[in-house]
Amino acid sequence: MFGLPFSTAFLVFGFPALWILYTVGFLLLSRSWENDRDPS
Amino acid sequence: MNTTVVSFLVLYYVVVLGIGFWAMRRGASDDLEGYLLGGRDVGPLVTALTLQSTSMSGYMFLGAGSLAYTTGYWSLWFAAGDIGGGVLNLSIIGRRMRKLSQMTGSLTAIEYLEHRYPSPATRFIAATLSVFLLSFYVLAQFIAGGKGMALVTGLDYEWALLIALTIIIVYTFLGGYLAVAYTDFFQSLIMVVGVVWILGAALAHVGGFTAANVALREIDPTILSIWGRDLGFQGQWGVVAGAILVFSAGYMGWPHVVTRHMAMKRPGTARLAGAYATLWNLLFVPAPYIVGILAILILPQLDDPELAIFELARVLLPAAVTGIVMAAIMAAIMSTADSLLLQTGSIASRDLYERFINPTASERQMVWVSRGLVFVIGAIGYWVALAEPPAVAFIVLFATSVLGSAFAPAFVCAVWWRRANTPGAIASMVVGAVTAIVWEMLALAATTTLAPMSAGIAASTVTIVVVSLATQKLAPVAPHILAAMDETARVGSIPKKMLAMSDFALRPEAEEIEALFDGDEGSR
Repeated sequence: MFGLPFSTAFLVFGFPALWILYTVGFLLLSRSWENDRDPS
Repeated sequence: MNTTVVSFLVLYYVVVLGIGFWAMRRGASDDLEGYLLGGRDVGPLVTALTLQSTSMSGYMFLGAGSLAYTTGYWSLWFAAGDIGGGVLNLSIIGRRMRKLSQMTGSLTAIEYLEHRYPSPATRFIAATLSVFLLSFYVLAQFIAGGKGMALVTGLDYEWALLIALTIIIVYTFLGGYLAVAYTDFFQSLIMVVGVVWILGAALAHVGGFTAANVALREIDPTILSIWGRDLGFQGQWGVVAGAILVFSAGYMGWPHVVTRHMAMKRPGTARLAGAYATLWNLLFVPAPYIVGILAILILPQLDDPELAIFELARVLLPAAVTGIVMAAIMAAIMSTADSLLLQTGSIASRDLYERFINPTASERQMVWVSRGLVFVIGAIGYWVALAEPPAVAFIVLFATSVLGSAFAPAFVCAVWWRRANTPGAIASMVVGAVTAIVWEMLALAATTTLAPMSAGIAASTVTIVVVSLATQKLAPVAPHILAAMDETARVGSIPKKMLAMSDFALRPEAEEIEALFDGDEGSR
């Protein structure tokens, strides 16, 4: 891919993809954080 | 000296100073919480971008470019961790640290550590380590700023260094955290525009990404390898782990970065900030490394690889665009330098001066002591940067590895592990820092294939677990700290009662008195 060996292509494109998945998972799991408001 | 380029730089500096003045007029520096944490009123977008631009220093334009130029695609291991550094930090400790720091009334990351791990030794060791390492780190930014400015303007290095440093000190001096956060926000936008522009120009020059890789393969196929030129790092997974960890998990140990959590408007701000951080990182982080690799094709005979990106901008771009790219480079340098200066000044004033020298100092006095220390640290940094400037990449990787090794387990366990106690945290900080320093000084990475960061963070993690468990009976975690941790874990507003006592250390005594009064009322 793009003239790169597979391992290098994974390093360049695979790691960012993993972080995107992590971020999406984080957003889904942290929906309740919107309840963290000013002191009651 | 190209007047168009210099005009853009001047315009950039005017805007940055304008933001500093605006922050001052907003009243951010009237009290210590305002000066050091912007009154804990920073939203998710600014939080994300100040966290990221603070983390991405001059290293990204000098060190990353140089690393990529000399080692090829191997350098992308650093970017692989770096892209997720922000969201990892915000998702793991962001929300909880914001909450616990407010309940404990902590204004600096080091004061926060002492409140969670109560002991003057916690504060003294953490503050001393931080001041030393952050000063070292800020030195790298001064050198980067001086080199970049000298190249752009044609001025002598010492004058260029003086101008860059003066501007950084002035606006750090003016508005404190708020000035730093909002200038970081502005600078992070400039950084993305600049780096994407130079990447686009470099790709266009070499005929596209695939054509560039084909040409690189003809020069030396190992440039394309994940193991570096001449396969110099083949099979060294410990070194690879260090490269990934230093700018991901390591962030959680950087006092100037985790302070961003404490300044968030609400604990839940961490959620959206994490998403913004990833978005920004995807645009920004890989680009300087790729540009450094492309420079192998475009500028094969560079004397100083640290100037690869500067030189590419000069060679490939029209003057007006070069001005924007140069402003981006200066933005990366300055957005980190200002945060480092503010943090070093804050820690030295609040965690060393007020805590150990003058405990009765007023808030106004403290702001001025902090400002004075910013000036003194800047002056010392200028002198060292002039006398014998070392390589930027070396200083940054050294300082960040030691910071991450020393503090990451202590910050993470502070909010996640109820049994983490004071002896465990102190031992972890000392062992982590010493391991990383010794690993670097004795060049043990070459013989052990383990990077200083990998060795340091493994040592500090094992230490906090082992020592905390071994000393549970001797030094149990106090009930008021456990109660605060429980509240930190809970999602929801902090009860007012938990905020009522400004001195967290006096909470047990205050609760006893409260119980006494409650008892009296009950008996009447």
